[in-house]
Amino acid sequence: MGRLIARRLLLLIPTLLLLSVVVFLMLEVVPGDPGRVKLGPYASAAQVAQVDHQLGVDRPLPVRYVKWLGGFVVLHWGTSWNQGVPVFSLTMHRLWASVQLALVALVIIIPLAVVLGVTAALRRDGVADRVITVTSLSLTVVPEFVSGVVLTVLFVVFLKIFHYPAVPPAGADPLTRIYYLLLPAIPLMFVEMGYIARMARAGMIEALSMPYIRTATLNGLPRRRVVFGHALRNAMAPTVAVIGTQIGWLVGGLVIVEELFVYPGIGKLIADSAKFKDLPTLEATVLVVAVIYMISNLSADVIVALLNPRVRYGR
Amino acid sequence: MTSDTPFQREYADHLLHEMLGGRMTRRQLLVRASVVGLSATLLGQVLAACGSSSPSSSTSPSTAPKAGGTLKVTMPSPTVTVDPTTMYDTGSIAIAQQVAEYLIWVNNDLSLRPVLAKSWSPNADATVWTFNLQQGVKFQDGKPFSADDVVFTMNILLNPKTVSAALASFQGILSQGGVQKVDANTVAFHLDQPFADFPYFVASTNYDCLILPTTYKAGTWQSNPVGTGPFKMTKFTPKQGATFVKNPTYWQTGKPYLDGVTVQFIDETQAEALALQSGSSDVMLTTPVQGAQALFTDTNLKVLTTPSTQSRFLHMRVDTAPFTNKAVRQALAYTIDRPAVVANLFNGKAQIGNDNVFCPLYPLAPKTIPQRAQDIAKAKQLLASAGYSSGITMNLTVEEFEEVPQYATLLQAMAKQAGINLKLNQVTVTYYYGSGKNQPWLQVPMGITDWTFRGVPSQYFLPAFTSNGVWNSSHFKNAAFDAAAKGYDTTLDEAKRRQYAATAAGILTDETPSIISYWINVNRAMKKNVNGLTSDPAEFLDLTTTYLS
Repeated sequence: MGRLIARRLLLLIPTLLLLSVVVFLMLEVVPGDPGRVKLGPYASAAQVAQVDHQLGVDRPLPVRYVKWLGGFVVLHWGTSWNQGVPVFSLTMHRLWASVQLALVALVIIIPLAVVLGVTAALRRDGVADRVITVTSLSLTVVPEFVSGVVLTVLFVVFLKIFHYPAVPPAGADPLTRIYYLLLPAIPLMFVEMGYIARMARAGMIEALSMPYIRTATLNGLPRRRVVFGHALRNAMAPTVAVIGTQIGWLVGGLVIVEELFVYPGIGKLIADSAKFKDLPTLEATVLVVAVIYMISNLSADVIVALLNPRVRYGR
Repeated sequence: MTSDTPFQREYADHLLHEMLGGRMTRRQLLVRASVVGLSATLLGQVLAACGSSSPSSSTSPSTAPKAGGTLKVTMPSPTVTVDPTTMYDTGSIAIAQQVAEYLIWVNNDLSLRPVLAKSWSPNADATVWTFNLQQGVKFQDGKPFSADDVVFTMNILLNPKTVSAALASFQGILSQGGVQKVDANTVAFHLDQPFADFPYFVASTNYDCLILPTTYKAGTWQSNPVGTGPFKMTKFTPKQGATFVKNPTYWQTGKPYLDGVTVQFIDETQAEALALQSGSSDVMLTTPVQGAQALFTDTNLKVLTTPSTQSRFLHMRVDTAPFTNKAVRQALAYTIDRPAVVANLFNGKAQIGNDNVFCPLYPLAPKTIPQRAQDIAKAKQLLASAGYSSGITMNLTVEEFEEVPQYATLLQAMAKQAGINLKLNQVTVTYYYGSGKNQPWLQVPMGITDWTFRGVPSQYFLPAFTSNGVWNSSHFKNAAFDAAAKGYDTTLDEAKRRQYAATAAGILTDETPSIISYWINVNRAMKKNVNGLTSDPAEFLDLTTTYLS
């Protein structure tokens, strides 16, 4: 187990290196340049070239990459070309904001989705199952932009329950922060509901169809013990794996929700950095989110291994 | 006390002559008088001699201004660090304009209002413009304002190393060394060529011209905001917002009425609209029709609108087939149902264009050119005369910007009626403008380009339509047009200017290097209790006289 974790952590390094090279190359290929962004459409080509030179953009690609890498590994992440603030504090600040939103969403959705999925599996093909399955699928496919706007108009403009934009005031206590984050968390829950509930349902159905379940039932174990003591644990493995992959999205991929609720998260920072060719910020944010992805996947795999000893010892 | 120069008195006579001859309207007179810096007394005399009454100094507010309160404003985020000498986007400009000021402010009707310049006057051939500055003005750090600061700021802008957009505006008109201090309160601008509309170039319409103190260090504005303006910036968080408080030593006593302003940056129009509807903001800096339709019918809000010179130019390269033949260009222009486009894209909040850059808002926009209307039969006839009686295919490059893709779709449907098959190629804004050697918008045979507000028509026709224009995407080269354009800028004779305008506009409409079918209004949505704030054709934010009731 320990070796598994260690090997996976070591794999992080070459993956991040490769990713950083890809990001560099992509910005090179995509049209537009930082000088033009800084000066706007009315500056002359000569003026733009001047700013590009000041930023060091006209030096050869490998030179720029090595220089950037050298600073990055010792946490000298440089200054944002657009915002003029240190990249490190900007990235961490926004990352923390995204993590908070992801946590609020997960804390609510995981228990809820698992309960619904298990219920659907236990009452398979019944009314409850149909309702849960169809509703969760429908909510998943609704774009966050649509659900977000509808929810805002309903809850904020008409019912005046939540606050919009969803930015907690500085220095607010944790309970207030959670209250502010509930509204943007709802569209996220809609999306996740489909994945997690259906995975829980599928896992539960498969677990319940295993021969040992029949054996346990015939041996006289109470139904509750069979389901919650034996089946559930084995049903959770695929669900945990799915949650692991979704965490990366919940932290780094929420561009639309962050934009709509004006929430200062890291997803929007990545999108803006790419749009405005802010290389230092883009590199830092992409790599940070990549680390989150990989660690959450690793954690999911560890939990699955804990749940299922056969994985742990390699069947 | 402003006293008029002999030349100004002579000029007032000239204007009076034009008025009495019925060749000039009252509105044209008011704007022109303000550009040439005639004193209120002299203007009053001219108006009286024409039997007209003096203009009221300002529209009286419906309720007396009430001091106090904090205004919450939403606007798009500045794209880069705010720097008054190089800024170009709406957010940066609105932020900087709260803290620093111009010599002159351009009103919504394009007349000029003195700010840091108390009065000004030209010499007889408009090559030297002299500005008398306000006295008793202090920067927010206590440093007194004087002519040295004006000279200092102008030299920064004229310096190629600063890479300011203002440099492009001053090209050929003013260069380094042309700005001279006459005394502590007077500055003279010595131009490279006569220019009848020069004051616009040191006014708000040349938005990088905010006056900065001689102690200013380049690139430090965002962390150390300086200026003579009504508000001090106390906090700035990139991509999130800014906080302003009233400047207690502001030179216009009694103003501003507000205690402070809180700005929140919101990039998405829909999100800004929701913020206003939910009550967490008071003013939405600019409210485009697309994306904020709900606000226009919301009874809890008011949406102010003002005509502007914002537009989209559909250019056709006159040096590339099939557009080498004027008939083909005109044919496309005749397929467009302009009122329908305005109704469809802007709910009527735009003015119809006539394929020339003299937007109706400009005082000298000629009224003699017949307005082009949809005429499918004529379009077919023109195409036939060019040899395309069985139809023609054209490739149009469309930038993904605001309503431009919808405009292109409408064009496609309308052009089809005359047998023109418009193929649309949609690209991002970044791709469209490109950079360095690769700038698609200047190279494609047909494209739609967005143009923001310009205070004077020369800021359009010089770069876009003169033979050496740097942004001449239609590659239009017409000597008669160049001559008319030059004449328009360089003479102070109103009768001649009107003639040049009519000639230049006539050539553009006839040759149709670009189709200009509308001029977009700028809307500003706000809560009903916000007073003393208008919409602004350039999307600028002037909160000096704003108050909450």
